Amino acid sequence: MRHLFVSFRKISLVLVAGLAAVSVAAAQTVHIYNWNDYFAEDTLAKFQERTGIRPVLDVYDTNAVLEAKLFAGRSGYDLVFPTMYPFAARQIQAEIYLPLDKTKLPGWTNLDPKILESLASADPGNAHVVPYMWGTTGLGVDVAKVRAALGEDAPLDTWALIFDPAHAERLAGCGISLLDDPAEVFAAAMAYLGKDLNSIAKEDLDAVQALFAKIHPHIRYFHSSQYISDLANGDLCVAHGYSGDVLQAQTRAEEAGGQVELEYLIPREGAVLWTDVMAIPKDAPNPDAAHAFIAYLLDPEVIASISNYVFYANPNPASKSHLDEGLRDDPNIYPPDEVMARLVTPAQRSDRELREMNRLWTRIKAQR
Amino acid sequence: MKPRRWPLYTVLAFGYAFLYVPVLLLIVYSFNESRLVTVWTGFSTKWYGELLRNQQLLDAAWLSIRIAATNATFAVVLGTLAANALVRHGRFRGRGGFELLLTAPLVMPDVIIGLSLLLLFVAMQQTIGWPDGRGFTTITIAHLTFSMAYVAVVVRARLAQMDRSLEEAAMDLGARPLTVYLRITLPLIAPALLSGWLLAFTLSLDDLVIASFVSGPGSTTLPMVVYSSVRMGVSPQINALATLIVLFVTVAVIVVTLALRGGGGGRAR
Repeated sequence: MRHLFVSFRKISLVLVAGLAAVSVAAAQTVHIYNWNDYFAEDTLAKFQERTGIRPVLDVYDTNAVLEAKLFAGRSGYDLVFPTMYPFAARQIQAEIYLPLDKTKLPGWTNLDPKILESLASADPGNAHVVPYMWGTTGLGVDVAKVRAALGEDAPLDTWALIFDPAHAERLAGCGISLLDDPAEVFAAAMAYLGKDLNSIAKEDLDAVQALFAKIHPHIRYFHSSQYISDLANGDLCVAHGYSGDVLQAQTRAEEAGGQVELEYLIPREGAVLWTDVMAIPKDAPNPDAAHAFIAYLLDPEVIASISNYVFYANPNPASKSHLDEGLRDDPNIYPPDEVMARLVTPAQRSDRELREMNRLWTRIKAQR
Repeated sequence: MKPRRWPLYTVLAFGYAFLYVPVLLLIVYSFNESRLVTVWTGFSTKWYGELLRNQQLLDAAWLSIRIAATNATFAVVLGTLAANALVRHGRFRGRGGFELLLTAPLVMPDVIIGLSLLLLFVAMQQTIGWPDGRGFTTITIAHLTFSMAYVAVVVRARLAQMDRSLEEAAMDLGARPLTVYLRITLPLIAPALLSGWLLAFTLSLDDLVIASFVSGPGSTTLPMVVYSSVRMGVSPQINALATLIVLFVTVAVIVVTLALRGGGGGRAR
């Protein structure tokens, strides 16, 4: 017994001694808070090479966690990457971001004026946020399976695949998924019904609920990321999803041997365009370094290398010549103007409207 | 007539399968060549190679292990003290409240613990300047709040069952209370301390929600990296890392079991 006691004490002593925290302080660092895998593999290393500032990257998994930290204050981050609507829009209203010093951002003029304009409604004069990547929310389709279920010449680029009860019934066998996000799902349903995507009129919402009463049994699940691997494995044939995610599923399906042929489609009825932005919190320890990092990302060559890695379109038209051909010429990543015209940015909601939407959303999901 | 055994064995087999097949699959697929976690294309160890080059993932794993070990060590000390108070000190004033508050973190939702601690840390930083930023220390403190309660529950059960006549015998033989505690009581409850330590270690290694709230710049834990990569697709590197952790835990459990057996044998001699 004594032997046991001694060894136990030894173990704990070794652990305590060996595990004392080590903190490292460096001269110039910039603390970046972003999604995982949202930079190219060499983005951070090259920034350090170019400027001498050491970037420290932390990752988060939902916009909500980012928001909780920003609103609590003193997050310690110099640069964050929220989604514009509704998150960054709300955060700008709460005045937690530092106004940008555009004299330190020589690449600002590279940015697409159309994207900047779409941000200006929540950020007047584009004073606080810089667009980082943008994409659309559309359909990931397993072409062979959908054709087998609906016939050879059935149109694929339509929300009817999910919302037309007759189609949904025939596709239920191979699997339909929807995003677990009321704003996105309502926008898709509104598009199918031919309404304004951002409509929250009572009769339109009632119509959406009635629609779900019919198609609900045919939906396999509501989830915002699981569809990536399920599409690639052939466990789903229609997924409501983000452009970059579906393209990832496509690449993975190809790597796995290519039995599954996936396509990302922007439905002809219209779809949501979303933007992820960068912003500097007001209490950032090193705003100068954050500006330097933004300036670095405004370099067309740098942002192109990131797009090539993450499969999302960037708001920097000057970067197009550095993009991989497949990405640049893909109409689903860089849609032609007539498709762009059908894309809608999500509206900002008041707390009351959000509550209404969430209530309806809970009712819809509880039907299963 | 002898009762038939096979239904029992079938149930047992299903039970084991339910518990261990997922872990086995995870290990098998860590040797998969494809980037897809669930499609088998061929044997390869390349993900282990990529894992060793993935500094971000390794840093996160190392940070998580350091936090988990520090947290477990302190949780065992504090949890044992609390268990002692409850078992050995009879009906002291405020015992009911103490017991309630001690076990409250067991049922408190993670989101509430996380957010309230975040607000506390921010407020403290503004008023007394400590903690200066959030990271290792704040995550460890946050994990301590709930893992300490688990340790207290485990140790308390063991203390309550313990035969007190052994301690009394030692005192009869002239041992001072401290000596009795260190030489008699602690060794007797050591298995509970160990399982408490491992429990606290696992709880901390596992935690995503609380750590997300109270982490700061430069301190991303392993679960945060794993969950964050879901948005862009989980890489088999995670399988490889999980396999290594399973291996590590298995070895640790075997070593601990052997050590405990050795201790028992020592008494027999």
